[in-house]
Amino acid sequence: MKHEWLRFPLHVMVRPFDGFWDLKYENKGRSGVAAAIVVLLILSVTVQKQLSGFLVNFNDPRYLNSIDELKYVLLPFLLWCLANWSVTTLLDGEGRLQEIAVVAAYSLLPLVVVYLPTTFLSNIMTNEETAFYYLLNSFAGLWFVWLLFVGTMTVHQYTAAKTIVTMLLTLIVMAVIVFLGMLVFSLIQQIIGFGYNIYYELIFRN
Amino acid sequence: MRSTRMLIVLAAVVLLVSGAVPAAAAVPYENYNYNYWRDAVPSPEAYLPSRSITGVSLGIGDFLEPTDLFATKEDGVYLLDTGNNRIVVMDRDWRLLSVIAGFEHDGKPDGFNKPEGMFVDSEGTIYVADTGNKRIVALKADGRLAGVIRDPQSDILPSGFEFVPIKLTVDRAKRVYAVTRGVFEGIVQFDSDGTFLGFVGTNRVRPNASDYAWRFLSTKAQRSQGVLFIPTEFSNVDIDAKGFIYATNIDPGSQTPVKRISPSGDDVLKRYGYFPVAGDVRYRLAGADGGPSKLIDIKVREGGTYSVLDSLRGRVFTYDEEGNLLYIFGGKGNQLGTFKLPAAVEAIGERMAVLDRARGRIVEFAPTRFGAAVNKATALHADGQDQAAVEAWREVLRLNGNYDVAYIGIGKSYLLEKRNKEAMHYFKLGMDRKDYSVAFKRYRREVMKAHFGQALSALLLVALAAAAAYVLRRYRIRRGSVSHEA
Repeated sequence: MKHEWLRFPLHVMVRPFDGFWDLKYENKGRSGVAAAIVVLLILSVTVQKQLSGFLVNFNDPRYLNSIDELKYVLLPFLLWCLANWSVTTLLDGEGRLQEIAVVAAYSLLPLVVVYLPTTFLSNIMTNEETAFYYLLNSFAGLWFVWLLFVGTMTVHQYTAAKTIVTMLLTLIVMAVIVFLGMLVFSLIQQIIGFGYNIYYELIFRN
Repeated sequence: MRSTRMLIVLAAVVLLVSGAVPAAAAVPYENYNYNYWRDAVPSPEAYLPSRSITGVSLGIGDFLEPTDLFATKEDGVYLLDTGNNRIVVMDRDWRLLSVIAGFEHDGKPDGFNKPEGMFVDSEGTIYVADTGNKRIVALKADGRLAGVIRDPQSDILPSGFEFVPIKLTVDRAKRVYAVTRGVFEGIVQFDSDGTFLGFVGTNRVRPNASDYAWRFLSTKAQRSQGVLFIPTEFSNVDIDAKGFIYATNIDPGSQTPVKRISPSGDDVLKRYGYFPVAGDVRYRLAGADGGPSKLIDIKVREGGTYSVLDSLRGRVFTYDEEGNLLYIFGGKGNQLGTFKLPAAVEAIGERMAVLDRARGRIVEFAPTRFGAAVNKATALHADGQDQAAVEAWREVLRLNGNYDVAYIGIGKSYLLEKRNKEAMHYFKLGMDRKDYSVAFKRYRREVMKAHFGQALSALLLVALAAAAAYVLRRYRIRRGSVSHEA
C-alpha cells in the first residue's frame, strides 16, 4: 500500500490493539519511523517552548536551550526502553529491545500530532480560552500513556494487571539506572581526581 | 577583582577632580528593583539622601532613641524624642518651631514616659501613645491637654488586661486606632470620647499541615509545653484619606505583612503586582541580615502609593495602589542614606524622611528625576488621567528601559484609546498577561471584522479548488481504467 510508513503509525494511534499486534506479528514496525517520531517530538517540544503564545508561555527566554530537550525527551525515552527491557526480561516478557523501542516511539505520536497545532492555536487564544490548550495537551498525554500501556501489553503478551505493575516497576528501574549512572560518574570523577593528585604529588616531590 | 575596584576608584577620582562631568552623588547602597522573573536588577536611584537632621543641628541637644516621626499635610513635622520624653515640632524645612516636654493635667504638670507612637490630625491635635504611662494623650495645637485614654473597660477584654499603646492613628471622626503591646486580637479602637469600641483587623493564625501532624502526634503534656499558636501583633498603622487603615505586622511567615483594613474589618489591599507586598522578594535565608523583610512602619502617600520600612535591611519599599513595587532605597550602614536602626518613615510632600533610632537622626531623601517621574506617572494614573500619564511613563522609560510598570501603564492608556495592537505590544513588554489577553481579544475581533469578507471568499475558493480536483481525479481514473481495458 502507498505511504505505509505514514499510514501505519496513524493507524496504531487510533486502533492500538490491532496496530500493535500487527507491529509485533506482521513486522510492520519500522525503526526508522520510530526514530523519526522521537526526533519530531523533540522538535515539537522545542517549538512549543519557543513559539507558544504569550499567555501560556511561562518559559524564561533567557534560559531556553534546545539541547536541553534531549535531556527531557530523548534521555527518558532511552531510559524507558532500557528499564522496560530489563524488567520484562525477568518477568517473562516476549518483547525484544527493538520492539520495545518501536512501541514506545509509536506511542509518542499523539504528543507530536497534538503539540504542534496547539502551539499554533495558543497564539490566537485569549486568557479564557487557554483552558482548551491545557486540556488538549493533557489529553495528548493521556493518549500517550494509553498507547504505551496497550503497546507494552501486546508486545510482551501480558495481562492488564501485570502490564500496570511492569510499567510502575519500569519507572522505579529508571530511577535506579539514573542513580547508578550518577554513582559511576561520581566514582570516575574520584578516580580521576585521585590519579591527578598522585601525579601532582610525584612531580612536586623533586 | 581588587585591581578592577582600584581602577573604578581611580576613574571616579579622576572624574571628580576633573569636574568635566557633574558627578552624580553615589549612594552607599545598591539601587535595585525586581523584574518579572524575580531577579534583583540594577535600577536608577529614585531617591537620594539630601541631608541629615540631628538634635544638635537643631540646637536642642541630641535626640535619644527617637521612635516616631509625623508630617502633617500642612507644614508641621513632628518628632517623638522617646528617650528625652519630648515632642520636637519643626517646619518642612527642618527649622525648629517648638519643643513640647510636658503639659498641664488636672492643674498639675504632667509629662510623657517613653512614648513610642504619635499622630497629628488636620487640626493640629497631637495624639501620643504614652507607652510608659500606659495611656494615650491628646494635646491641642497650642500644647494644652485635650484628653487622655487609659484602661479601656469592656466585657470582651480579658481580666488583668494591660493597655500598653505603642503606635496609633486617628480617622476623620476622631476615632483612635492603637496598636498595643501584648494584644493579639487586633488593633484597639476607641471612640472620639475615649470609650473602647472593639478590635479591628485581627491577624489570623493558619497552622499548616505539619503543625496539625505534630499536634496530633504529641501527648497532652507535650502540647501544653509547646508553642502557642497565637497571631502576631501589628507593628504599625497609618490611615488613608478614605479612612482605611494600613497596618504592618512582622510575622516572619506571613505572605500579607501589609494590610489595608476596611471599616468592616476586611483586608482589602490590592495585590496585583508580580509578587506579594512584603518587601524583599529574594533574600538570604540565614545570617544576620537573612530572612524576610521586617516591616515596622508604613506611610500612605499621594496617589494611593504607600511606603513601608524594613528594619532588618534598612530599606524603604514603595508600592502603588495596585501593589506594584515602584522603587527601593536605603540600606544598613554608617554613611548618609543608610541607617543603624531605622524606626519610622515619613513623606514630606515629594521628599521622604527616615528616622534612625539608634543614631538619633533624621535622614531626608529627595526624589531624583527618575523618582519624580515615577511619582508623577503613578499619581496621574491613580487620578484616572491615563493619557497624561503616558508622557510621564515615557520619561520613566527614557531613564530606565527595564521598568515594567511603565510599559503596563502605557499599555493601559492605549487600551482605553482602543489602540489595541500597540497596547498588546506594551503589555507584552511589561509581562502583563491579564491585560494582554483583554487587548488581544479586542484586536482579534477587530481583525476578524475587517477580514471577514476576504476569509469567506478564500474559503469559497478553497472549496471550489477541492471540488475541481476531485472531479478531475475521478475523470482521470475513469479514463485510466478505460484505457486499461482497451
